[in-house]
Amino acid sequence: MRADEIRTELEAWAEVAVRRLGETSDAKSLEAWRVEHLGKRSGLSQFMRQLSALPADERPLVGAWVNRWRDELQARYEARRAELAAAERQVQLERETIDITLPGRPYRRGAMHPLSKVIAEIEEVFLGMGFEIAEGPEVETEHYNFEMLNIPKDHPARDMQDTFYITEDLLLRTHTSPMQVRTMERMRPRTPVKVIVPGRVYRRDEDDATHSHAFTQMEGLVVDEGIRMSDLKGTLEAFAKAVFGPNQRVRLRPSFFPFTEPSAEVDLVCIHCGGNGCRVCKETGWIEILGAGMVHPRVLDGAGYDSRRYSGFAFGLGVERIAMLKYGIDDIRQLYLNDLRLLRQFARVQ
Amino acid sequence: MRVSWNWLSEYVDLSGVTPQELADKLTQAGIAVDAVTPRSPGVRGVVVGLVVRCEQHPNADRLHVCEVDVGADEHLTIVCGAPNVRTGMRAPTALVGAVLPGGRIGRAKLRGVESQGMLCSAEELGLESRWLPKEQTEGLYVLPDEAEVGADVVPLLGLDDWVLELDLTPNRADCLSMRGLAYEVSAILGRPVRMPGASPKRTADAPGLTVELATPRCPRYEAQVLTDLTTGPSPLWMQMRLLASGIRPINRIVDVTNYVMLEWGQPLHAFDADEVRQGRIIVRQAQPGERIRTLDGADRELTEDTIVISDPERAIGIAGVMGGENSEVRPSTRRVVLESAVFDAASVRRTGQRLGLRSEAQQRFEKGVDPVAVRAALDRATALLQEICSAVAVGEPVVVLQAAPAYQWQVDFSPARCNAWLGTDLTLQEMRDIMVRLGFEPEATDQPTWKVTIPSRRQDVRLEEDLYEEVARLAGYDRIPSSLPRTVTTAATRTPAQRLRQWTREILLGAGMTEVLTYTLASPTDLAPLRLPDDSPYRQMIPLLRPMSEERTALRTHMLPGLARVAQYNLAHGVIGGAIFELGRVYWPKELPLTEQPCERQQWAALWFGSTERVVGQRARLYDFYDAKGVVEVWLEALGVAEAVSFRRSGASWLHPGRSADVLVGDVRIGCVGELHPDTAAGWALGRAQYAEFDLDLLLPLLPDTLHVRPLPRHPAVRRDLAVLVDLATPAEALVQAAREAVSEDVLESIHVFDVYTGEGIPTGKKSIALAFTWRAHDRTLTDDEVRVEEERVVHRWKERWGAALRDG
Repeated sequence: MRADEIRTELEAWAEVAVRRLGETSDAKSLEAWRVEHLGKRSGLSQFMRQLSALPADERPLVGAWVNRWRDELQARYEARRAELAAAERQVQLERETIDITLPGRPYRRGAMHPLSKVIAEIEEVFLGMGFEIAEGPEVETEHYNFEMLNIPKDHPARDMQDTFYITEDLLLRTHTSPMQVRTMERMRPRTPVKVIVPGRVYRRDEDDATHSHAFTQMEGLVVDEGIRMSDLKGTLEAFAKAVFGPNQRVRLRPSFFPFTEPSAEVDLVCIHCGGNGCRVCKETGWIEILGAGMVHPRVLDGAGYDSRRYSGFAFGLGVERIAMLKYGIDDIRQLYLNDLRLLRQFARVQ
Repeated sequence: MRVSWNWLSEYVDLSGVTPQELADKLTQAGIAVDAVTPRSPGVRGVVVGLVVRCEQHPNADRLHVCEVDVGADEHLTIVCGAPNVRTGMRAPTALVGAVLPGGRIGRAKLRGVESQGMLCSAEELGLESRWLPKEQTEGLYVLPDEAEVGADVVPLLGLDDWVLELDLTPNRADCLSMRGLAYEVSAILGRPVRMPGASPKRTADAPGLTVELATPRCPRYEAQVLTDLTTGPSPLWMQMRLLASGIRPINRIVDVTNYVMLEWGQPLHAFDADEVRQGRIIVRQAQPGERIRTLDGADRELTEDTIVISDPERAIGIAGVMGGENSEVRPSTRRVVLESAVFDAASVRRTGQRLGLRSEAQQRFEKGVDPVAVRAALDRATALLQEICSAVAVGEPVVVLQAAPAYQWQVDFSPARCNAWLGTDLTLQEMRDIMVRLGFEPEATDQPTWKVTIPSRRQDVRLEEDLYEEVARLAGYDRIPSSLPRTVTTAATRTPAQRLRQWTREILLGAGMTEVLTYTLASPTDLAPLRLPDDSPYRQMIPLLRPMSEERTALRTHMLPGLARVAQYNLAHGVIGGAIFELGRVYWPKELPLTEQPCERQQWAALWFGSTERVVGQRARLYDFYDAKGVVEVWLEALGVAEAVSFRRSGASWLHPGRSADVLVGDVRIGCVGELHPDTAAGWALGRAQYAEFDLDLLLPLLPDTLHVRPLPRHPAVRRDLAVLVDLATPAEALVQAAREAVSEDVLESIHVFDVYTGEGIPTGKKSIALAFTWRAHDRTLTDDEVRVEEERVVHRWKERWGAALRDG
């Protein structure tokens, strides 16, 4: 055969090959096509075998034609294979489509009790300011709960805290303040004393929306040389900003506690209305949040810190009250009812 | 304390200040005013009417038709339904167009008769009817005969007054009097106090009374004898001031004593002098078992701790608390002994508490009275009795003193230290002004330390720091700036016990459990479902002396009842189930009755109740033992003690004996986990529920140090599974343990049970346990032969011990 005849034949063959490649529909027919057209016994190989019958000078030319077609078909084969694979992947994806609106598998996060949450948050603030956390016994002695706090026996100030007695001398602590004295006794003569005391306290109150026979207090105490009442205000302001936001301010009002002098009730800007006046703050723009004051000299002296040299401040805040304000709970009993429909809402981090 | 604005304004000029403004200023100065209420706001057009004729209504049995003189030219016809209406009485008469708290009065026809106004009751006028006697509240309010016909009742009854309700702190007993409050207002407003003086005329006669003080608890007793008293109601103005102050008007003698008590803060008592036998008053401690009937009609048994006023024959009053009925002032009383005394505060307080009384007198005595007021009040009351009851004061008061009263004292005051204590920069002038306004007398004010004289009405100002508070509150607490302590920096961390609690909470929250907080005061009956033996230490609950309710009588010894109640509540409220835990204390006495503080143990406990959530691909099911154990294992693993832990069958009476385990770390039992005993669960209607409890105080010393990582392995591991047939009762953990013991070398890296199967293909009474082994040597790659030899050792051991056979496959 002559070179030009081979060429004509080759091109006719190639035309058919290309057409049939287009007819392949899956991996199997594609593979069959490859064996037939590009394999060892393929048509292309037969064209190559015909080379030997050609004159030597025509061989390279024809060889180049054959090779060009081989490359061409190989490229088309690759393209077809990618095309088919993509189609097949597409089918697979469609087949595997699921309902993404079904709920995910539940990995339930537990919910921290709101009181624990508030305590933890306040602890963080005071740990950051270098306050230790102390705890103390709930079954206290008269000595620490009253006497050492300048509340002598048969003193009317005891009416402020109606007490559950266990024996004549043992009682359920009515406040966390006994830990002021216990902490000072433990620390003396070291300074500074900087401590907060979260804990459960008890009062003989009928349980109602705002009273509970058991509740949680957080005591704070700082004793050192040169502690001023302004330090109390600044410290509480730092706490208020951390817990309730940067726009918080603190207002002190004169009050009376036997173990502080001067004593103060401390108000925050109403969390609900931002100080404009609303139902929660009884239109005053302020809400009472804790009692505080400068540690009474008798308490300092009694606990071993000479009141002529040292001074200190103390405060006691109601954790329930803060939780109620912060989370909009209007009945203190809900905090001890443990209705899971309420508690589970606290799975939220904030 | 309720304070009449009009009354207060007699003692200090209140012009230009509104009641609300004054209330705010008082509150800012530490005298909290809870409420400012108009006494009876807006009453107009009500005058004194004289009923000149009163006839039965022609068409109504219960109505009267009255002709009422209101000082106008013509009498009014008024229809009245009050039962006490009668001819000749004076009553408040609302004219047509009058305004009452209940609304405006118009002309009205009542059963055919036109009424030209209304005769009023106390309630219709807005008077404090709860403190009025019955005869003044059932029907018309009866005005005294002296009331001028036609006069406006608003000034007559003081209706245009305001009442300030003070919430006094216990230190400010001085403000339990108009005088004390006047001084406080004077200090705030910078206006002078004008107290009425009293210089009663006294005859030169001997009073015919002796007083003996037979107890040290009465340091001072003064008594004035008065005679020729008239009785009857006190004047309206006095009654109205008492009413505004919340005190019941009784009769003119008693009203005077109460009025002066309100004015001076000094309680007074009037005895019928004819009932003071032999004219002798003896103040003494009561005899044990001595009895007295008090003014309220109650028979009271006294103790030796009680101070009584007595005559030589009997007690006639409980000192400082309440008078005796036997010496009560009656309509027939013509002579009285008026007492003004000082009694021991603590003793009065104890007596009041013991008797369940809280009289006005007691409230003042127990907080301490002003020695200046003892005589001043006696003089004032004497003068008022002369004025109102035409009394004659017989001689000078009888005075017995056991100790010289302190009418004033000095307190040192360092202005520099005051500013340092407060963090303020108040000037010397400001501080001095404040003291002067308070009626204190600062001396040596050019010195670093002043001498400040305190008048005895301020019993609460004794220490230098008390003066700091006076300065601060009158300067205004808003003068105190914000600063932070200038102390050295401190680093603070949680203690190990606090960290363990925090970790435990975080781990349990991470395991999806919800935290609860329950009350620690409980009842011994809560323990009933726990099936405890009679001598169980859990029964040693520390009881309260005076519990408030039957549910809360003692401190809990066990965590389960609280959690069980939470579960019961939630199931009853439609929650299908839950996993809850509590971190809290239980209270274990060393002995009962308690002689020292008990052990307060830190524990956590958890309860899995009801069923799990129903989710796609998983049916709701009841919580089972392995749910609980899984959480416990997560907790132990996170704390790094898992390897030292063993589970042993528990004997806890509240747990299912076949489905519960004690948990030991080493050989310390730190708690237990298991299904509630069916009888226990039934106690709270819980169905199947799982429970765990652990003592953190026991665990704390057993916690390991910080984690040190194991180096990554350098040689590959061989993983092989074995399935073995054993008796149903064989514990899986025993197979694991036996395997560990059987291997010759430290080449068994891990072993864990991954399947337990009974059923088809397994003989009855047997189960198949599948275990996954990971074999690895630290120094070489194990060969198949080596592993096979080890495996054979394991299988041999199992066979030897339990006759276990490998399962084919």
